[in-house]
Amino acid sequence: MIIQERVREAAAQSNPVRIAGRSTWLSAGRPVAATQTVSLADHSGVVDYVPNDLTITVRGGTSLAELSRATGAEGQWLPVNPFGSDEGSIGATVATASSGPFAHGFGTIRDLVLGVEVVTGEGKIIRGGGRVVKNVAGFDLVRLMTGSWGTLGAISEVTLRLYAKPSHRLTMAMETPTDARRLAERFRGLLDAPIIPFALELLSDNLSQRIGLPPRQMILVEFGGNAAAVSAQRDAFVKIGAAIEAPPECWDKLRAATSGTKIVFRLSGLPAGLAARWDFAKQTLEESHDTLMHASIGRGIVRCVAPDALSSTAIEKLVAARTNHTMILESAPADLWKRISPSAITDRVSQSVRRAFDPMMILNPGILGPVN
Amino acid sequence: MANERLASDLAGIVGDRFVLLRPSELLVYNSDGLPGYRRKPSVAVFPGTRDETIEVVRLLARVGVPFVPRGAGTGLSGGALADDVVLLGLHRLKRVISIDAENRRATVEPGVVNLALNRIAGPLGLLYAPDPSSEAACTIGGNVAENAGGPHCLKYGVTLNHVLSITAVLPDGEVVTLGSDSGEREGYDLLGAFIGSEGCFGVALEVTVKLTKKPPAVRTMLADFVSVDDAARVTSSIIASGIVPAALEFMDNATIRVVEESIYAAGYPADAAAVLLIELDGLTAGVEADVAVVRELCAAGGARDVRVAGNEAERLRLWQGRKKAFGAMGRLAPHLVVQDAVIPRTRLAEVLATIARIAATHRVHVCNVFHAGDGNLHPNIPYNADDPDESERVHLAMQEIMRACVDAGGSITGEHGVGLDKLNYIEMIFSPDSLDAMCRLRSAFDPDRRANPGKVIPIHSCQEWKATPAASRATAGTTAGATA
Repeated sequence: MIIQERVREAAAQSNPVRIAGRSTWLSAGRPVAATQTVSLADHSGVVDYVPNDLTITVRGGTSLAELSRATGAEGQWLPVNPFGSDEGSIGATVATASSGPFAHGFGTIRDLVLGVEVVTGEGKIIRGGGRVVKNVAGFDLVRLMTGSWGTLGAISEVTLRLYAKPSHRLTMAMETPTDARRLAERFRGLLDAPIIPFALELLSDNLSQRIGLPPRQMILVEFGGNAAAVSAQRDAFVKIGAAIEAPPECWDKLRAATSGTKIVFRLSGLPAGLAARWDFAKQTLEESHDTLMHASIGRGIVRCVAPDALSSTAIEKLVAARTNHTMILESAPADLWKRISPSAITDRVSQSVRRAFDPMMILNPGILGPVN
Repeated sequence: MANERLASDLAGIVGDRFVLLRPSELLVYNSDGLPGYRRKPSVAVFPGTRDETIEVVRLLARVGVPFVPRGAGTGLSGGALADDVVLLGLHRLKRVISIDAENRRATVEPGVVNLALNRIAGPLGLLYAPDPSSEAACTIGGNVAENAGGPHCLKYGVTLNHVLSITAVLPDGEVVTLGSDSGEREGYDLLGAFIGSEGCFGVALEVTVKLTKKPPAVRTMLADFVSVDDAARVTSSIIASGIVPAALEFMDNATIRVVEESIYAAGYPADAAAVLLIELDGLTAGVEADVAVVRELCAAGGARDVRVAGNEAERLRLWQGRKKAFGAMGRLAPHLVVQDAVIPRTRLAEVLATIARIAATHRVHVCNVFHAGDGNLHPNIPYNADDPDESERVHLAMQEIMRACVDAGGSITGEHGVGLDKLNYIEMIFSPDSLDAMCRLRSAFDPDRRANPGKVIPIHSCQEWKATPAASRATAGTTAGATA
């Protein structure tokens, strides 16, 4: 494998390398001190796919679009659809633990990866997990690699759990109260209602408008299943508030709305605190009118997408509020990374893990914060 | 002598009553749910609080003594056996620290019994989804260590998918929090690595789990077949249809008969070659439509009869037979071995036929009772371990069955863990480099490898690392990285 050779060479010379999937997603913005790039773009394609097992094994550089074509031809899908473009690779999706609106119904990519093959920082090829849907053999290298941002190895192959596409789907939207207390009541009503949606997302008024909905703060929901299940959910949903049918393309538009932006971050905490969290984000970002916001109602996560730099007042407020919310940057200029999230792997165990898989510290150095 | 000194120091932390040293007292801890394995701990200690547990682990770290954490001892891999080292029993830590119905989560100590948590969650309209068959006895701490599954993990996922955070004491005495119980966490997924680490990475002190909203409708069906092959093929066709049942369990005739003769009789047809216990749940309207589809698939696949439980009592009775099947096998012979391999769901019929051939060749009695929906086989072989000839035949049959499952693209364990039992099989599925990587991961949590020594990865797969220059280079690498 050429990736293995490239990493081995780099390790032999202690040359730091940037590991890239298809290089279509912008870098997170943390400064990576690399002299060369090892790309997985040419390492793509389906390795093994038995549709009736609902599992697929693909090479790390396979684009999400290609994966979607292959599984779609069999009436199946990987319900991840991360925010961003489908030109991104599955390897990068796993490495960055990226998820999208369907995490509400299907979990995050962490819940859907069954096995990985990885080229470590020493250029060794290792595997974790397997190709079956349930597996506790050995220590869990699959979870370890998921979200490790390429610092423990380049993900060269991934086995995924698939789902059959439902026979019926329905996208709906509902206007919501803007007052935090009433918004919280609405969330509770939705979570307690007899509905089991695939996705349940709150959108800011400007984001609603951007994806072709009325310019109001809206809830976008996706139902799927057999005809009876979908129609029962529609009935339950319209009882909660004034709802309209929405075009299914809304979801892809929502995913695409983040591309080309400078600052993307998420605020999370207990799900019941979502309305307050949303209110805080809205007020903090009031001045930057072009900031788009959406939130996963079940998971309690607010995601903010700012096309330009944030005002220093907004940044100060966000920094100060970290005692109330967990703030995770997806993309930001280098100085903001330093301010908000100096390093995600300073603890002893994480440092040991890093050195165990990449002793020369050559893989994406800096991408999870300064190397120390 | 050294043991007596250690026992006395431990008693200083937990009290005399909670330290065992005499062989007669330790006897009960010599095996777990798989009685074929026996190991005698040197000392057993049972802390009663989180602080005592931390103190015990710190004491053991100071004196450099290895230890084996243990929950209820219901495990099926010999994983909780202490071979002349300290056994650290955690069943006294059984406080439910908090239940947060609004945020659908609970924080519990490791000794809380799985079913006890569900008894509390149930009246709130919530449930803790992982439901191993030993749910009435096994503990959340043990479930975390084994990444336990259960029939309903087909739809709802295993322990890994339901734990939000863990506060643990690492083998060196450091207390860490992995994951987050309120919001996302960045950095390496050490929580994911810890779950299923079989007591090798540390001891959980507090576990925060997700609770799931109970589905409005549950339908439980029993389909009976005159051919094992038909039952296996119907399983594959239900999975292929895209319906995700809440559970899809398989029992063969040998299992049906032993269950029906026991006090756990569930009303399974004694003359069936196999039955499938299928549970569908979700919204009332949707479930009825799925029941109709599954019924058709069963009929088209050769089912003699499909019965839907008419009420909750009937439903529970159908489940009781399944959940107590392992226990019922105690009627057949004094000892039992059970495998836990997982195979792709399209290969079920073929692998079951191979298992039957292997059983016939070695003249052993196999009872198949397993989670068919996720391809997780449990061939059980009741036997008499005191009969050397029979033991040898059982051993050979087990090896051949494992080989057949691995050759079909499977894994050696789906939910029971490697422990001692599958130590010799793990090299069938992982390369030396992969095993070495796993050893390194373990060393990040436990550099001295004092927690549950000798389990999961054969020692010879780990030694390589210490001998290579990689370990010493690691330090140099740090310095280089800092200037990069």
